[in-house]
Amino acid sequence: MTEVPDAAAVAPPAETPHRSPHADLWGGVAWMGLAVAILVASIRMDRLADQDINPYTIPGLLPGLLSILMLFFGSMLALRGLLAGGLRQRFAAAGREAIAPGRTLLVIGLCAAFDVGLVGRGLPFWAAAAIFVTVAVLALERSGEGRIGRRPTPAAMLKAAVIGLATGGAVTALFQEVFLVHLP
Amino acid sequence: MLTGLAQLGHAYLSFLNPLSILFGLGGALVGIIVGCLPGLSATLCIALLTTMTIKLPANDAILILVCSYVGTLYGGSRTAILLNIPGTAANAASCADGHALALRGEAGRAIGIATSGAFTSTLIGVLCLAAFTPVLGNVALSFGSFEFFWLALFGVTMSGTLVGDDPLKGWLMGLLGLFVAQIGQDGLYAHDRFTFEWDQLSGGIALIPALVGAFGFAEILTTLARPKEPKLVELKDSVLPRFREVVEHWPTVVRSGLIGVFTGLMPGVGEDAGAWMSYAAAKAVSKKPEEFGKGSIDGLMAAETGDMASIPGHIIPCLALGIPGSAPSAVLMAAMILHGIQPGPMMMIEHPEFVYDVVAMTTLAMFSILVFGLFLVKPLLLVLRVKRTILMPIIFVLCTIGAFATASRLFDVYAMLVIGIVAFFLRGKGYQMAPFVLGLVLGGILDKNLRRGLVLSDGAIEPFFTRPISMVLAAATIFTLLLYVPAFKAGLRALGRPVRRLLSRRPVADG
Repeated sequence: MTEVPDAAAVAPPAETPHRSPHADLWGGVAWMGLAVAILVASIRMDRLADQDINPYTIPGLLPGLLSILMLFFGSMLALRGLLAGGLRQRFAAAGREAIAPGRTLLVIGLCAAFDVGLVGRGLPFWAAAAIFVTVAVLALERSGEGRIGRRPTPAAMLKAAVIGLATGGAVTALFQEVFLVHLP
Repeated sequence: MLTGLAQLGHAYLSFLNPLSILFGLGGALVGIIVGCLPGLSATLCIALLTTMTIKLPANDAILILVCSYVGTLYGGSRTAILLNIPGTAANAASCADGHALALRGEAGRAIGIATSGAFTSTLIGVLCLAAFTPVLGNVALSFGSFEFFWLALFGVTMSGTLVGDDPLKGWLMGLLGLFVAQIGQDGLYAHDRFTFEWDQLSGGIALIPALVGAFGFAEILTTLARPKEPKLVELKDSVLPRFREVVEHWPTVVRSGLIGVFTGLMPGVGEDAGAWMSYAAAKAVSKKPEEFGKGSIDGLMAAETGDMASIPGHIIPCLALGIPGSAPSAVLMAAMILHGIQPGPMMMIEHPEFVYDVVAMTTLAMFSILVFGLFLVKPLLLVLRVKRTILMPIIFVLCTIGAFATASRLFDVYAMLVIGIVAFFLRGKGYQMAPFVLGLVLGGILDKNLRRGLVLSDGAIEPFFTRPISMVLAAATIFTLLLYVPAFKAGLRALGRPVRRLLSRRPVADG
């Protein structure tokens, strides 16, 4: 006789195990803080009494109820982390080794600079996209494995510029001319 | 019945023209390419294509989106087989057996199985879509505010429970999505909520920029944060679809197809659930369960059939109830609304022909993936050779356009950026985005129906629990939540043990 396996038994482990008591504890506390803020804002929200609305339709009703549920589940998460030793254990055991923090910050910085600094600031979209893609390709290639700190060769710079210009041109032509989409 | 068949026939005929076929093939091709790229999801693909197709007639635009939806999941299997990285979350179940076959030099065979499984399962799904959507739509006509309140809550609860490995975090993300949906003017009195007197926030957080942030920018960050490029297994054998193997494994195909459609029907449960449940069921009844995970044809067939069949399954509640079955179908629903088609119970009254149009679109998608599965497997794999450091900045440019294009507001671009960064860090801590998206979509429905229901009942909460359908939905929601309580779970397991023992009592082949 063989046992019938359930879905959990046949599923492989998740890509990254995320159960960290420390993260659960402080994550739970953050959720509770957010829930309290929403609850206070919901209670203080205008009840539109001057418009003589039905009291069961006040705008803060659902957000208030959601915040109570969020408070409950957030406290459950915090409690779970606390009972599992979240105050003693500092870091998650696994799941973070594959992430390069410097590279993450670099990507966030590049993308934010494009969206906040280039797009919608008077520069044509094709030019903004070309500058971003060129710089991003060069910077990311340099920050790759075994290439950190190396100066880009003229060929690499030319290649990145061609990719950037081609992207800016093609994307603008496709969206603006073919699909008639308004670009920033 | 006859009217429905006539409308179905008319829908098929209306798409049998060169332009529609071209749109269908184009949508599927873009979907397959996006699906091939690890990290880029069906949700992102549909969100970006929604902005591209916004000026097209409704039927053409939705055709492209449906074909890209089917194409993305199909394309994701290539990456699972050749790189051992699921192209989309739905293809995770295909990794073990697909990649094991590839390592044995049978990558082409694995891709052929994926193609034939995808085609057959989409066919099963299309039949269910045509049969069940009108029925469910007619049932939903009797739904009132109380039922829709519970349906929305049930969707978020189910999504939180089944997506990812931690229901508590799933529910919190669902609640966050529901809360974010409350930001901006409320649906009844246009009163500003949580806007802090900032005009830009009065319009609320739009769905498409939020989705592009959560699924696009967050994925770009996740992909680029890992400096290693994945290694590709070479294709040496034929990639032609193996319909012979579909015939040999027909019980698996039919079973997985039906499981896929059924999981698709459940609101908020992603395509990956369809794949995993089909995989688990196939292993449970297999005569060679030890081969699963080591290159089992049955396992790969089950996984690929289960996830593809769940696509039409997800579209059914989306059309009939206005409740999306998954994150990609949530974007599909948003696109329908942008094109002036309101999914939900009134659809069978106002646009009954559209349901059959979607059936025809899904059929066209099914044939499109077969065309690309037959003729364009190897050229399409070239996209896997493009470096992520080149591809991802280009994808980010598309994300920016995607966030901006629907409303032409720079605020949406900033919202996408912020949501993407927050989603990236939350994902690193094990929080899934699908419940958040479901919450974002269902927040408005939940709010309006709670308040309308309370007005109708004059403040009494009994009708939320005593009307027959409400009672069932409330019981299902509470049961789903109680499953997380250890004592309740243990009691349930003890009750279910005799049944499981009975089910597992079957003859063993070799004693």
